Amino acid sequence: MTAILELRDVGVRFGAFNAVDGVSLTVNAGEVVGLIGPNGAGKTVTFNVITGLQPATRGQVLLNGADVTRQPAHVRTAMGLSRTFQVVQLFSGMSVLQNLMVAAHRHTHAGVVVDALRLPGRGRALRQAEERSRAVLAFLELSHLADVEVTTLPVGQARLVELARALCLTPKCLLLDEPASGLDPAETADFVALLAHVRATLGCAMLLVEHDMGVVMPLCDHVVVMDFGKVLASGEPRVVREDAAVRAAYLGEEVH
Amino acid sequence: MKLYVSLALSGLPIGAMYALSAMGIVIVFKTSKVFNFAAGAIGLACAYFASTLHHHGMPTLLAVAFAVVLGAAIGVLMEVTVRPAKGALTGTIVTLGWLLVLQGLVGFIYGTQVATNQPVQVVSDGNFVDWGGVLLYSNQQVLLLLVAAVLAAGLAVFFNATALGTATRAVSESPDAARLLGIGVNRVNLVAWALGGAVSGLAGVLVAPLLGGLDTTKLVVFTVQALAAALVGRLSSLPLTFAGGVTLGLLQPMAARALQQFDGIKGTQELTAFAVVLLSLLFMRKTGRSDVGGGLLPAPLQPLPRGRTALAAAAGVALVVLVAPLIVDDRGNVSHYNLSQVAIWGLATLSLVLLVGVVGQVSVCQAVFMGCGAYGTGIAMGHGAPFLLAIFIGAALAAGVAALVGLPALRLEPLELAIATLSLSFTADRFLYAWPPLASNDGNRPVTRPGFASVDPGHVADGQRAYAWLVLGIFVVACFAVASLRRARTGAALTALRSSEPATAAMGFSVVSVKLRGFAASGFVAGLAGALYAGLVQGASGAAFDFTRSITLLAYAVIIGVGSVPGAVLGGMIVTLTTLDFGSTGDVANGSQVSLTTFFTGAILIGILALTPEGITGFLSRTVRRQPELVAAA
Repeated sequence: MTAILELRDVGVRFGAFNAVDGVSLTVNAGEVVGLIGPNGAGKTVTFNVITGLQPATRGQVLLNGADVTRQPAHVRTAMGLSRTFQVVQLFSGMSVLQNLMVAAHRHTHAGVVVDALRLPGRGRALRQAEERSRAVLAFLELSHLADVEVTTLPVGQARLVELARALCLTPKCLLLDEPASGLDPAETADFVALLAHVRATLGCAMLLVEHDMGVVMPLCDHVVVMDFGKVLASGEPRVVREDAAVRAAYLGEEVH
Repeated sequence: MKLYVSLALSGLPIGAMYALSAMGIVIVFKTSKVFNFAAGAIGLACAYFASTLHHHGMPTLLAVAFAVVLGAAIGVLMEVTVRPAKGALTGTIVTLGWLLVLQGLVGFIYGTQVATNQPVQVVSDGNFVDWGGVLLYSNQQVLLLLVAAVLAAGLAVFFNATALGTATRAVSESPDAARLLGIGVNRVNLVAWALGGAVSGLAGVLVAPLLGGLDTTKLVVFTVQALAAALVGRLSSLPLTFAGGVTLGLLQPMAARALQQFDGIKGTQELTAFAVVLLSLLFMRKTGRSDVGGGLLPAPLQPLPRGRTALAAAAGVALVVLVAPLIVDDRGNVSHYNLSQVAIWGLATLSLVLLVGVVGQVSVCQAVFMGCGAYGTGIAMGHGAPFLLAIFIGAALAAGVAALVGLPALRLEPLELAIATLSLSFTADRFLYAWPPLASNDGNRPVTRPGFASVDPGHVADGQRAYAWLVLGIFVVACFAVASLRRARTGAALTALRSSEPATAAMGFSVVSVKLRGFAASGFVAGLAGALYAGLVQGASGAAFDFTRSITLLAYAVIIGVGSVPGAVLGGMIVTLTTLDFGSTGDVANGSQVSLTTFFTGAILIGILALTPEGITGFLSRTVRRQPELVAAA
């Protein structure tokens, strides 16, 4: 198995506070890894370090074996990283299709001059981006939403569109930040089924930050539990669930 | 050493005036989060008013008192018009409207030339005070210092120790929460604006003699000094603001001396203030100034939801291309001159459509980019470049300058960028356009256009006609280019960027590169407009690209609604109309007409922001557009 994404001893300090303290984890090709932990455990900061929104104080982030610790977010995207946001960040004022095309343009090439002067590259870029976006919409059975303005979408559909947009980047590793937050139980179950379908069809690796055990347990091959910025436990979901320290820190708080 | 102490101290009295005017801005900002760009213009109105009263025999102090009351009254009126504005940026653009209104009104009543009336001298000159053997101050200057210091202290006490002062802080933090606590938010805002207006007005009255008499532009450009001092005071602390103004006053004579080695350099005061504005915006961000947000663009500056822009642009442009030459043809060369103007100012508006409508940034310095294009063309031709090449060199220069202006925009909120670009406009007037390498001796750099001006005096019209077609052709191409850009890959990235920067970066676009390209493209179009204008009048001079032009360009963009390319055509026509004599096309408008136009532009801007939030084209397209299909919430 080859590692798509690897964190080596990553740390983030805010003043005297260690938000993330020596986290190491690996996501292998085709693998789904869950990152869980109570609020304030450092999951989101870790996530932002991976995507490049938050610089790491120490440690390394590797994508396909290449050190990207000092690379900005857009370079990491070009190297096969793709993400969704905890609070949905669709581009307002644009239709669903236009949102997807922004992502699909990662695979096209056309600059300001080409676009302004209608040189041949402009039309090609638009065609390629639209084809790719429509294909992804069809794959997720969202084609009927193509021309809908995104701000009019309910949360459940907005999350699906954000997933579609992330897939337009043809990711090697898909990062999902609390994909089930704001969804009701039925929508959550549908979303889990959809993610399983995506995984089975596209085979891309996934790293998901999630609170909902109903999402993490059936989907993940591997679970990493964080608390106080450190990795508390890691392993198969079944094993991690039995871990006493984990139960105390996290699962003990669950109602069921 | 003694020389430098003496130099620095010479700037003390005027520094106190910067502080006073800045306090007017800070008082308003503390309460309403709106940046009062009209602070200098209020001072202008009050200084002229006091002078008139005094001229008619009123005692000096009474005249000053009445002028201060006028300042307070203007402040109250401003509050009433700012109140409906949603968001600090919209409110701030309303104050730009007031700047135009006040400048236009004073210009119309008193004439734009330096007034024959003398400014009010609070204390007659002549008695000097020896300050430690290094400098002689007049009594008046000592009094200025005292007045400013006492006011700073008094206002600081007012804000920190009185119930009303504390209420203003509550209102600024959260108007709704303040309302729930039983604070009359509107009353508090009114008091703050009245106070701010009065202080700004007093600053204008007192500073007028120091600026060498009453002048409709100098007192408005004075705003840049106040902006600098207010930013040093982090827009909240009155004592710090006072210190900021005084420090700026101390710095300027030294900066002027340091820059003396460049022959004929002018406007070093504004240059120093501009540097202070930029530095404070960029480096004092993290420390307590996070409240200068105001992020959202006002509604007229947002793109139309689903305009059929390309089609409408094609129709609009075709209409102008087909109809305009036919209509104006029989009037001979003068009408071709007007036609060129429409296309040139259309290009200028188009550059704002690109920057505001697509990139999502507000610029109050578009005319500066035009100036760069004009001077760049002149310089390139001076080095032997043919005209048709030179205009593109000029435009490229403007694109470079625009990218430089875009650099701080990477870190600044739209409101902060408005502050920076307005300061740049003021500074360009005093410094850039008078800079010896740019300006020739008479401030006008010749731009001849061989091939478009017939040497035969009998055929001047031929040259004008050919030139008009050239300009029109470039304008049409530029319209299509912007529409095309907007609907392609670059446009997608730019539109995405204004919605969410992290998400755009996550889609693989570099935020820095996308933003700077947007700025550069806008600067290129504006520079092209400036270059073609220089060709039209056969000379580059800063007069056509002053700060009033930058503000009115933005104003027309807001009035029309910059979401659409056809708006640019309309903008071109409106600007051209404003430069002509009313009634008889062809004659250039005189000073009082320009003032009247400025006044009405400001008044309409204020009215539009209060009444029709989408601008004219937005309003039209909304009435034409069919309702978007309702989406079933599945």
